[in-house]
Amino acid sequence: MKPAAQDPLAQLTEIRAIMERSSRFLSLSGLSGVGAGVVALAGTAIGHYYLRQEYGEQGYQRLFQTSEAERLAALPFLLGLALAMMAAAVLVAAVFTLRRTRRDGLRSLWTAPARRLLVALLIPVAAGGLFCLKLYLSNAVELVVPGMLVFYGLALLNGSKYTLDEIRYLGLTQIALGLVALLVPGYGLLLFGAGFGLGHIGYGLLMYNRYERPARVAAGRANIAP
Amino acid sequence: MKYAIHTLNKAFDHRVRLGVMAVLLANELVSFNDLKESLDLTDGNLASHVAALEKAGYVLVSKQFVGKKPNTTYAATTEGKLAFQQHLAALEKLLRS
Repeated sequence: MKPAAQDPLAQLTEIRAIMERSSRFLSLSGLSGVGAGVVALAGTAIGHYYLRQEYGEQGYQRLFQTSEAERLAALPFLLGLALAMMAAAVLVAAVFTLRRTRRDGLRSLWTAPARRLLVALLIPVAAGGLFCLKLYLSNAVELVVPGMLVFYGLALLNGSKYTLDEIRYLGLTQIALGLVALLVPGYGLLLFGAGFGLGHIGYGLLMYNRYERPARVAAGRANIAP
Repeated sequence: MKYAIHTLNKAFDHRVRLGVMAVLLANELVSFNDLKESLDLTDGNLASHVAALEKAGYVLVSKQFVGKKPNTTYAATTEGKLAFQQHLAALEKLLRS
């Protein structure tokens, strides 16, 4: 190890980088967001066709007024779909982020900031999941989608302390969409797709263009001109 | 400005020590392994520098056992935080002069 560099600017820059790196998980890939968004759009479409097939046109709205027995009959499919979507989205997100971690030459994905980010996300998501399940069972189906969006937005807002700043704005977007869904319950499924699908894709592309593409383009140039 | 350089704290006169203080300022409580990982260091290297910071009263070391495994955590003392911030201010001053 060399003694401290003489250049105070270099020292300050390094100190800043260390502080940032040790407290935030910065390897989150934008493509993770795009992948999760595509999964969410696919899931929304499956949910839409299922409800239409079960309850006819406007199937989603019909769910608001249907009998308790019918709601309970639809629960296993809807709950299964939601859990499958979450699992698939997390898997896709993990794959892309792992890829970026490797490309950045980091040894491990499982760092202290990554653990903190996960806990910060999981607590509001788990609470929101149970809350929304209870809403569904208590015949407040129209509140389920707004609840999912708002809780997920709060989770992102909470987790954004430990990762890229864009996550904070993604969280605020989800909260806003959740509140809009509260006002127009009939458009819940559409807003669900907009938030979980388009929201993730949009911010994912933004993050990818901001942090990863410049690095990859530079790496590509370096390969061409040795 | 040949005087500004004397305001730099000798305890931070090394990259590793600067790094340790930087991590401890950004995070309240850090385990040995997390500290090692964030700075990309070997065990011995980190231990000797942390010991120097502990001797200066800038770092608080607490050793516990998680099951049978020893778990050492580090935190910056109030004095250490203050000294590091003064060091950063001195560096910035050097830049401006």
